[in-house]
Amino acid sequence: MRMKLLLATTAIALLAAAAAVAAHHSFAAEFDASKPFKLTGVVTKVEWQNPHTIFYLDITDERTKKVTNWSFEMGSPNGLMRNGWTRNTLKVGDEATVEGSLARDGSPHGNARTVVLTSSGKRLFAASSQTEAQ
Amino acid sequence: MSSARRVALAAVIVIAALYTVWAQGPAAGRPVEPTPRFADGTPNLGRVPGDKGVWDVPYIQNMGMRIPGPDGKTAAERGTAAESGGRGGAKAEPDVPFLPWARGIYDYNSRNNSKYDPEGYCLPPGGPRLMATPYPMEIIQQPEHKRIFMVFEGATHIWREIYMDGRPHPKGDELNPTYLGHSVGHWDRDTLVVDVVGFNENTWLDYFGHPHTDLLHVVEKFTRPNKATLRYEALIDDPGAYSRPWTVAWNIPWNASGELTEYICQENNRYLQKLTDDFGEPVLGGR
Repeated sequence: MRMKLLLATTAIALLAAAAAVAAHHSFAAEFDASKPFKLTGVVTKVEWQNPHTIFYLDITDERTKKVTNWSFEMGSPNGLMRNGWTRNTLKVGDEATVEGSLARDGSPHGNARTVVLTSSGKRLFAASSQTEAQ
Repeated sequence: MSSARRVALAAVIVIAALYTVWAQGPAAGRPVEPTPRFADGTPNLGRVPGDKGVWDVPYIQNMGMRIPGPDGKTAAERGTAAESGGRGGAKAEPDVPFLPWARGIYDYNSRNNSKYDPEGYCLPPGGPRLMATPYPMEIIQQPEHKRIFMVFEGATHIWREIYMDGRPHPKGDELNPTYLGHSVGHWDRDTLVVDVVGFNENTWLDYFGHPHTDLLHVVEKFTRPNKATLRYEALIDDPGAYSRPWTVAWNIPWNASGELTEYICQENNRYLQKLTDDFGEPVLGGR
């Protein structure tokens, strides 16, 4: 019981410490923290660039089968590398599941907090700038 | 006490202890190492030869929460106010001595969630925000050259030079308004005191949008009470925006394995490309 609690607490502390933030522009001006999403799709493009790495997924609507190309913003390449990424972590053709917050303007765009690669199941922090209480 | 209660109490103590260790930064939980010093006794605010290490600058979003009270602690350090604490505007910050126009612009920045933050344009932080923008930095002392460099990975990959040779600030038109201002420093025992003037008006004091004018005068105090901690204090003296000087302070943890990496904010700034003004027109590009 004690050991379980200890492990759980340590895990929470490590997660919090690992999720180093990048702060470039106002998160709240562009994204809505009250609109979380979880989406799975196939990588079509990765822009490994400052101030934000942006990647694109083709996401198929389960009901209509319509495919939409979404873009997701993460932290800067150096922030991502401190969270265990390299420029080849996400490659065109990979399937990935992204969790984060939707853009306020209703476009197919979001701020990514975590990314899970389907092939490895590895969960990666996206160096998101979402820290401000909304 | 029942055994279940004892277990619960032990769990609470363990959680509190772990949280304390985590909250105090990477060096907590290990023996406190003393302040590194040069041969003449001057505190070394950077690396010891052979070591790595950077200062992990924290994300201080609202300096209104970082004003030390009578006990020397800030609201954020006392835990009486969350760092971000929502956007209460000027009326939520009675300790910040806003002039009326500064109050108005701060409330505007609060209402629009810092939409027009200069750092979103990839412009540098100025004044105390240099030590509040969450990218690592290093302090490099060159006593033989009577100067100190501060090197910042972000927010725009910049450095500042602090003149330690006793020179005064330039006077009148010789003082050119710049983002980082003109910095002269001296040692007061173990405290590095840096006096800064000559700021332009293109920066905010913090992410929440406390404004300043070109009358801004900042007096910074840097101390390293132990190897793992940099205590930063800044007097914000700007008669153009505030009715009296006010002081902010926070700790910056040492990351013993850290090194600076490249960060060029201007590369692909989509935020600025999409930014619209209050009338819905693009901020960049023709009308």
